[in-house]
Amino acid sequence: MGSITLKDIRKSFGGVHVIHGVDLTIEKGELVVFVGPSGCGKSTLLRLIAGLDKPSSGAIEIDGRDVTRAGAADRGLAMVFQSYALYPHMTVRQNLSFGLENTRMPRSEIAARVADAARMLEIEELLERRPTQLSGGQRQRVAIGRAIVRDPTAFLLDEPLSNLDAELRGTMRAELSALHDRLATTMIYVTHDQVEAMTLADRIVVLRKGRVEQVDTPLNLYNRPANRFVAGFIGAPNMNFFPAVAEGGQAALPGGVQVAVAASGPVSFGIRPQHLRLAAPGEAGIPARVTLVEALGAETVLHARSDGDTDVLVVLEGQPELQRGQELALAFDVEHLHAFDAQGQRID
Amino acid sequence: MSTILTFLTRRRGHGGRWHWTDVASWVWLIGGTVLMFGPALWLISSSLKDPAQLAEFPPTLLPYVQQTAAVEGHDTPLPLFTVTMEDGSTRDLAQVRRIGANAQMVDPGDPDAQISVRIADRTPVRDVGIAHGNYTDPFLHFDFFVYLRNSVFVTFFATILTLFTNSMAAFALSKYRFRGRDAVLLVIVGTLMVPLSVILVPLYSVVSRVGLLDSLWGVILPTIATPTGVFLLRQYMLTIPDDLLEAARMDHASEWQIYWRIILPLTAPALAVLAIFSVVWRWNDFLWPLVVLSRRELYTLQIGLNTYAGELNVQWHYILSMTVVTMIPVVLVFVFLQRFITTGIAGAGVK
Repeated sequence: MGSITLKDIRKSFGGVHVIHGVDLTIEKGELVVFVGPSGCGKSTLLRLIAGLDKPSSGAIEIDGRDVTRAGAADRGLAMVFQSYALYPHMTVRQNLSFGLENTRMPRSEIAARVADAARMLEIEELLERRPTQLSGGQRQRVAIGRAIVRDPTAFLLDEPLSNLDAELRGTMRAELSALHDRLATTMIYVTHDQVEAMTLADRIVVLRKGRVEQVDTPLNLYNRPANRFVAGFIGAPNMNFFPAVAEGGQAALPGGVQVAVAASGPVSFGIRPQHLRLAAPGEAGIPARVTLVEALGAETVLHARSDGDTDVLVVLEGQPELQRGQELALAFDVEHLHAFDAQGQRID
Repeated sequence: MSTILTFLTRRRGHGGRWHWTDVASWVWLIGGTVLMFGPALWLISSSLKDPAQLAEFPPTLLPYVQQTAAVEGHDTPLPLFTVTMEDGSTRDLAQVRRIGANAQMVDPGDPDAQISVRIADRTPVRDVGIAHGNYTDPFLHFDFFVYLRNSVFVTFFATILTLFTNSMAAFALSKYRFRGRDAVLLVIVGTLMVPLSVILVPLYSVVSRVGLLDSLWGVILPTIATPTGVFLLRQYMLTIPDDLLEAARMDHASEWQIYWRIILPLTAPALAVLAIFSVVWRWNDFLWPLVVLSRRELYTLQIGLNTYAGELNVQWHYILSMTVVTMIPVVLVFVFLQRFITTGIAGAGVK
């Protein structure tokens, strides 16, 4: 139970097209993360799945049943809002039981479910408080609890951790992951934070301007990004790109390093900051001048400028002795190089 | 106590000297207080005077009651006067009757000897006291309780219905998107500019055709839809996040349940404000009930008060005292609920 299929979903508000034909299949029990920069349509897509908005065209199926025109309540989904949207005038217990009361569930059953969810989320002692008397993390738990008691086909989470401080976000992330393992329910999670996406997801859907750029497992996205956008979006710090011109199956990087590439014409090469290292004496590398050194202890982030005025980020292990203005050569292994054509698509 | 004193003697000028703004604020504040409280205090003081004293000129600040003395041979107590005799001495005499510019008076200690005194030579003997008859008579001899019951009935049901219908309209106008919504709101708010006197005649004929003439529901029903209330509640409801409604929709709540269980409780501060306004409006309503009601047993308090003003004779003492009585609920509402008015209008409760 809990597979969700989107077929050519389009959505426009007035004359503005926000979602341009999204096809996606989410398997049951999967935790899928929608990630993308703000304004990419990820929250809109989630609201379409939830039934809070209706798509302009296309179809949504849950467990093979077409629910495109069904109301939010009839889809068997539960949603956790970014603002938590707890009912401020109700106690935590009333917040949890509100949805169940509306389905005319017997009182004993409601009490049992609320008790179960409270125990699972460790909010038993908060049940008689009101949301305003809770901390951010506690509100977050209650919001999740309100979704859990419904025993939904799938959970929809709209940037649930974005209002928490960094430390709490880390713990809640781990708890959400554990919760997903325990419940084994389909979850769709929207975030703009790629760390959340990478750590939580079974599969990540990268969105940009209402289009799906790539759908894959976190590591596949990292290792084999389908295009320049995904390559630049996934991974921190961002990937370095070098423009080049390919001729006869070869292209030259700054500093004259020749790389084989199955294309001709303008291309770009991407390499992650972690995959650059200081060239050994005599080794070929990309020449660059250091503009800033950020020593973080365990690693050192180097800002440099290469020939052709391209900014380069390098993450070096440990604490190498480097100074601003120093000239150096950056070496890399060819298997870590990503090549993209003029349209930004990956070249294998 | 000392803090109050420090507060009162605080000056803007250095070293406790008077700055001109100190003078200006004191004048402004005292003047304002007199302006606001003066008429009300004058009303209360006058309501305690008897009819003769009300007609007196110059008027006195405090209510006085003329002393009377029981005199043998007279059934009712006679009013006492201090009389200046021809020889210059003064005596306290009771007045039997007044004839033209003279008064027949007797000494209470010697009831048989009647003395004729010019009225210019006597002054009434009186003490500060209240004419409590002003307050008790309307309760004992008139239909005050009937009027009170009608007023309470009208105020209560008009307020309940006002809150109910206005909040539903405000909910629709604030939380649903539909074609013409802004136009509808504009029309509703626009009716604020149409005074009752303009629509009095058409409204009367509508109420008359519906058969509500001379019935309390005829007073209540035309007043329940108020543009002020719709606007006030709508502005407040706009501050309730839409996320809550969507969460409720995901929680299987019907639109009615969203209104009843989510929107209404969260609008409580604004509802309190509207309730206060509605109570005051309906309680003080005069013109519309006067038009609709013609049977005496249906009169509300304000119309009932009007019955003390006859064509030939205005019973000011009853009008004044009953005005004070009808003011009491409104004053109490303001005293106890004013914090709702200020917080509600300021839109407090919004995080």
